[in-house]
Amino acid sequence: MGGYGDVQMIDENGIRADGRKAGDLRPIEIETGVIPVADGSARVIWGNNHAVAAIYGPMEAHPRKIQRQDRAVLDVRYNMAPFSTSDRIRPGFNRRSREISKVTAEALESVVLVEMYPRSKIRVEIEILAAEAGTRCVGITAASVALAHAGIPMTDMVVSVASGKINDVVVCDLNKEEDNYGEADLPMGILPNSGELVFLQMDGDLTQEEFQEAWDYNMEAAHDIHRIMVDALKGGES
Amino acid sequence: MAIPLVPQLLRNHLSELAEQNQRIDGRGQWESREIDLQTNVLPNAEGSAMVTMGDTIVYAGVKFQIMTPYPDRPNQGGLMCSAEVRPVAGRNWEAGPPSPESIELGRVVDRGIRESGCIDVDDLCIIPGEKAWQVILDLFAVSDDGNLFDAFALAGIAALRTAVVPEVKFEVSDTDRPLPVSKTPIMCSYHKVGGRYVYDADGREELGGDERIHITLGDNDNVHSLQKGLKGIFTASEFAEIMEHAKSRCGELRDLVHGSE
Repeated sequence: MGGYGDVQMIDENGIRADGRKAGDLRPIEIETGVIPVADGSARVIWGNNHAVAAIYGPMEAHPRKIQRQDRAVLDVRYNMAPFSTSDRIRPGFNRRSREISKVTAEALESVVLVEMYPRSKIRVEIEILAAEAGTRCVGITAASVALAHAGIPMTDMVVSVASGKINDVVVCDLNKEEDNYGEADLPMGILPNSGELVFLQMDGDLTQEEFQEAWDYNMEAAHDIHRIMVDALKGGES
Repeated sequence: MAIPLVPQLLRNHLSELAEQNQRIDGRGQWESREIDLQTNVLPNAEGSAMVTMGDTIVYAGVKFQIMTPYPDRPNQGGLMCSAEVRPVAGRNWEAGPPSPESIELGRVVDRGIRESGCIDVDDLCIIPGEKAWQVILDLFAVSDDGNLFDAFALAGIAALRTAVVPEVKFEVSDTDRPLPVSKTPIMCSYHKVGGRYVYDADGREELGGDERIHITLGDNDNVHSLQKGLKGIFTASEFAEIMEHAKSRCGELRDLVHGSE
């Protein structure tokens, strides 16, 4: 969080710089089957974020040291393409992408029925082609749709969304400027059918009341996003 | 890239098809898959393109950096071209440092663009000896069903031709300007499958085929880069035949690039 209090991002009528009200999401479009060679795939365009996710497997787990006798492992890679941000990113893993890969794998392993595929692995490849704040949420959401598109059995899809605080106002789904200059960011991974959580991070500064408000925004947004995910899997409008 | 065992059955099948002048997906020997080219598809790249050739899908993105000119060329900027085939693009591509295959891909595309002279490196100089633009072309595959070379080359030149030099962001001047790209080099790739060359091999033809040849031609059919890859032997008359095809095909693809701008 940058915490530059002098950047005005929301006006006295509660309208944000991009025209949204506090609780509004950016526009979200989801399409499945965008990577024809994969076993399942999805593209999520969420504001100016473009993410694709591909699923390969279940397949033999190798190297063998990652094998588990009683379940499948999820081999998740989150990566940002070199041209995905304002300044070019040098190709290759970094600490940030490793951490996001790890928490994404743990979120998805909580819903995939991994015990159905002992000793195997399911590869989950998340590529961010364009980034505009909230890429980890976009990536988890894309991966969930891709897993469902691949026919991998799950108890629910993970819907991921972040809320935060800008100019002392709690708002849903931060954009780039709000993420850079805002005061807090609370990304969550929500199971929309039960209201349970499988992913939670936060950084910044929120009062207990603000935290609850951000939490509630995420819970509400998860249902709207879930509807878009289901529509995409049904092959368009429903 | 993990090399899958080449099933002998696939090789035999491809040979039988070739004897009957057929291909595994029903195309003619010199026929390409359906091609779609879109430009300006990525909001954070200064130039971008997406190419779909059958089930092969690639992106190209252009970024700019400020570099110090090389001491022996104080009045010139630079072009850097790199290709990445990440595991998202297929089950045989693995994570890790760039594989020899993806390095070859990037370098062959780079040579075709660089040697055509389409980018005027003198124009990229900002302050002689001190500051110049470095143009970085990143080629990124998301779905590999064969012939990444042609897909990368096509996306690459289309992205460059629509790129905008971000002069405002880097405080070089107060207006951005289009990157001048004076030519349109085009690559055509041929794969020996079932004992004969075919154009635009798909994933199965690459798997069960032998050597490949890549030809990059410029606006006047000038030859700018050649590459023979993989194990195999070819004759002068085979090469003459594919060069004839490349001359007509490059013109068609050049029109496609110009039409997308």
